[in-house]
Amino acid sequence: MNSSEAKEILLLYRPGTAELADPQMTEALALARQDPDLGRWFEQHRAFQKAMRAGFQQIEVPAHLRTSLLARMQVQPTVITPPAWWRNPVWLTAAAAVVLLLGLAGIWLKPRPADQFANYESRMVSEAQREYRMDLVTNDMRQIRQFMASRGAPANYDVTPGLKRLQLTGGGQLTWRSNPVTMVCFDRGDKQMLFLFVMKRSAVKDPPPETPQLAKVNQMLTARWTRGDNTYVLAGPEETDFLKKYL
Amino acid sequence: MAAQASYSGDRGRGELDFQSLVDLHYGPLYRFAMSLTRTESDACDLVQQTFLTWATKGHQLKDLSKAKSWLFTTLHRCFLESRRRSTRFPHLEITEAEAELPNVQPDQVSHLDAQDAVQLLSQVDEQFQSAVALFYLEDYSYNEIAAVLEIPLGTVKSRIARGVAQLKELALRKAAAAGKTTGGAS
Repeated sequence: MNSSEAKEILLLYRPGTAELADPQMTEALALARQDPDLGRWFEQHRAFQKAMRAGFQQIEVPAHLRTSLLARMQVQPTVITPPAWWRNPVWLTAAAAVVLLLGLAGIWLKPRPADQFANYESRMVSEAQREYRMDLVTNDMRQIRQFMASRGAPANYDVTPGLKRLQLTGGGQLTWRSNPVTMVCFDRGDKQMLFLFVMKRSAVKDPPPETPQLAKVNQMLTARWTRGDNTYVLAGPEETDFLKKYL
Repeated sequence: MAAQASYSGDRGRGELDFQSLVDLHYGPLYRFAMSLTRTESDACDLVQQTFLTWATKGHQLKDLSKAKSWLFTTLHRCFLESRRRSTRFPHLEITEAEAELPNVQPDQVSHLDAQDAVQLLSQVDEQFQSAVALFYLEDYSYNEIAAVLEIPLGTVKSRIARGVAQLKELALRKAAAAGKTTGGAS
């Protein structure tokens, strides 16, 4: 084993775990003790791992989450037992599951109150930043409108003059808190994409004004506005004259 | 606390009430969800969905000592479903991480808060993120991580190795950028 191979193995090092007994790990650790350069690298690596682990452990759990979980599940300290026929007759288990399911479905399907636009916008930008999927790859806007209409998503959306000048690449139907969202994708011409998200204005309690506003959300530039029954979010890479170019 | 007494008698066959299950696992599940989604509301939704699934299907689990693993697997499935992934993750050999090994100075990364950690993870290739999050968040063995993520052991190791290598590179860049903005590196 050389130093480079040892580094690859030591990337998986975690103190106090069973993996330390792995023969390759043992060999890599021994090499780190003998090779000063590798030893220094390993010390730095351990410091990095310690800092990362501490960072993750500091993620704060929202105070309301536990209450919300228990309230949502309508907990009456229900005891769930492993299925054993001599303790849980099948019909009883099935009946209990059905009752529980119906109760939960009632809660789950109950219309949720309108939520904040910022949450919706942030979620849509995240969709654009991560791997997204176009349900339809086409340069024909009519096809996208027909597809969205068939999915119950907004299909009567306006396309701004600036966007009409761009190459249409396709669209996808997304969902935000049970509300259908239309995503239309445009090619900016430099291998960068612009994403137009359209959702019913009634889905949020604070829809944006009719005059488009610029914002920076998760390292992307967005323009948000409301027109008619729809709210619009246009998201893309940061650039100057964003509004002037695309709206 | 009640959480510590949630399993009664034999861990494999004891009874487990829902509230204790929540008390035991909602924190670790939320941290895992947060590391995947990066937004509080999405992470809460994922945890809610996970416990909802438990409420409807948890009775199928015969060995309650595996409840934690079951919940993590369920949360990860919910996450993947929400992402509607269209491509399968490629299997990557651990040796491919070799070219991605930066030399990070310990004083540059000795202080990372939760936001830093989550932000750095978000920049790592997506197919590595779940494995890396579990690597740091939970004391799962690699075999257990493989079970939670439902992927082979070799794939888990390669994803963690490559993900950690990328994290170090990102941390180095971040530290270098911070040095520039503050007028000098340490």
